[in-house]
Amino acid sequence: MLSMKNISKVYQTEKVQTHALRDFNLNVDEGEFIAVTGPSGSGKTTFLNIAGMLEPFTGGDFMLDDVNVGTLSDNQRADLRNQKIGFIFQGFNLIPDLNLYENIEVPLRYRGIKSAERKRRIEECLEKVGLASRAKHLPQQLSGGQQQRVAIARALAGKPRFLLADEPTGNLDSLMARQVMELLEEINREGSTIIMVTHDSELARRAPRNIQVVDGQLADFTLYQNKAMDEIAAKAGQPAIEA
Amino acid sequence: MLEIKPVFSALLRSKAGAVMLLIQIALTTAIVSNAAFIINDRIDYLSQETGYPEDEIFSFTVKSFDPNLDISQKFEETETMLRNIPGVENAGLFNASPLSGSGSATGLSLAPASERGPDVRTAYYQADENALDILGLSVSQGRNFRADEVIVSQTRDVFPQVVIVSRALAKELFPEGDVLGQTVYFGSDPLEIIGIVELMKGPWLQDSKPDNVAIIPFVSASAFQHIIVRTQSEQRAAIMRQIEDLMLEDHGKRVIIGLKEMDVRKAEYNSSNTLMLRMLVVLIIVLLLVTALGIFGLTVFNINKRTKQIGTRRALGARKSAIINYFLVENAMICSIGVTIGSIGALFLGRVLLEHYSIPALDNMYILFTALFVIAISLLSVLMPANKAANISPSIATRSI
Repeated sequence: MLSMKNISKVYQTEKVQTHALRDFNLNVDEGEFIAVTGPSGSGKTTFLNIAGMLEPFTGGDFMLDDVNVGTLSDNQRADLRNQKIGFIFQGFNLIPDLNLYENIEVPLRYRGIKSAERKRRIEECLEKVGLASRAKHLPQQLSGGQQQRVAIARALAGKPRFLLADEPTGNLDSLMARQVMELLEEINREGSTIIMVTHDSELARRAPRNIQVVDGQLADFTLYQNKAMDEIAAKAGQPAIEA
Repeated sequence: MLEIKPVFSALLRSKAGAVMLLIQIALTTAIVSNAAFIINDRIDYLSQETGYPEDEIFSFTVKSFDPNLDISQKFEETETMLRNIPGVENAGLFNASPLSGSGSATGLSLAPASERGPDVRTAYYQADENALDILGLSVSQGRNFRADEVIVSQTRDVFPQVVIVSRALAKELFPEGDVLGQTVYFGSDPLEIIGIVELMKGPWLQDSKPDNVAIIPFVSASAFQHIIVRTQSEQRAAIMRQIEDLMLEDHGKRVIIGLKEMDVRKAEYNSSNTLMLRMLVVLIIVLLLVTALGIFGLTVFNINKRTKQIGTRRALGARKSAIINYFLVENAMICSIGVTIGSIGALFLGRVLLEHYSIPALDNMYILFTALFVIAISLLSVLMPANKAANISPSIATRSI
């Protein structure tokens, strides 16, 4: 359902060319839960941005559900993001002036879903993340963990094919991080495909499939090959997973 | 898709900037609509028809100091001299210069002073049978003065028996019925109305009845005289340059003062109005600029403050147009509340001005047009920053700084 072939991303300044990704190949099947790790600056976030169509890529082919992403216009990419992808950000990215209900409503409005259906989905998602009673609260009235659960509810409300999570636990303490991870696992069990970028080795190991980005290229491992991954990382001169 | 409800809730939760802008928009609407109305009223006033060919006429004052001079005869000669200057159409003595801000006024009544009838206030000019021609006027009804009806005298022992009036004065004296042949009283002196001039203005344009004017065929033979000259318009400047020399050549023992064109006198009389007009125009421009800059600034500030939020919205599926719409809707909300309050303020301000400064009642169309104009300016001011916001990359959302 997601396929990247020889994807490259070059950032060009006046004098310097930086290859953030090169010859990046990845296939993701329906229902997978993938943890993406790699050292800082290795291209994890660039990969996530391209997977989520948040920025264009320089070369290669990217197919998402049989749609060739490279040929889409800005509006078509926005619509496709809205319909197929749910985002979970490290900093939660809730809109501070909107209450929880209205925050979850944002992507649903962009899709043009009718008010009654929006209400049904928002309540269902708030219920799922355990915050049904706080729909009228503003984000700043919640703890970090609760805010991230709202962000997850927002991502889920559009019933996306993919959940892209960028360091979803990066701003949380370990207890809250675990709760968020459990929620993601539950969502994955229910059928959603999740790609999660993380620094946290413990969380990464809980994902059935681990991939590592090193110097803009992909190393693909299953959970059971983490040792080998560490060795490759060691060759690249960087710790694979920060403890 | 227009997001009215969420934009409104978001606005309610961060009001400070919006409220400041709203007040500014309200003040702008209230002040600009009244100022625009006053400007238009003053432009109407300044450009009103006076009935005179202002660019053909000039006037000056003569003071004779020869005690042995036969004033009546000398001025007759002077008039003839002036009329013979090439380019001069006509010239003669007047008690005052129209539109100059200085002249004479009286109450004309339908009964002699002893009977105390109602009277009508009017300005009047005293001159001979050439008066209408000198001022470039003509009667629309009745006839002009005959030479034998003109009284030249140093006293008021003998007074004329006829008068020519403006249409406005005729209407006020006799709202219904014929005017020609009717008698009105200048104090106790009866005057028969023999002619009507459609339009001529008195010396005071700012008077409440500037159109009430009478011409009385009387020349006061005094040493201090006001002379009005009508020329071909292109000759006027040249004739004015030589007039003092010619007057002194005609008779040495006199002084010429206050030589001025009719349009210049009028402009001097109206200078405070012209100044006010210019200041109001500057005020309007400054207010609109400040408001536009305020909206521009607030939008830019909001966009900088919400860069991450805008990126997140784009990541969540907002098209560029949705981001532009967001700012337009937000601005339209602030603006429509602002102009509504401003319109009420404009009505109130208009009423205060009406009560205290004798300014005519504000025409509501001015409020409507100002409100629409302010909304248009406001939307234009928001468009550029909103466009900039729409170009914020959605990848901002994943940046941690």
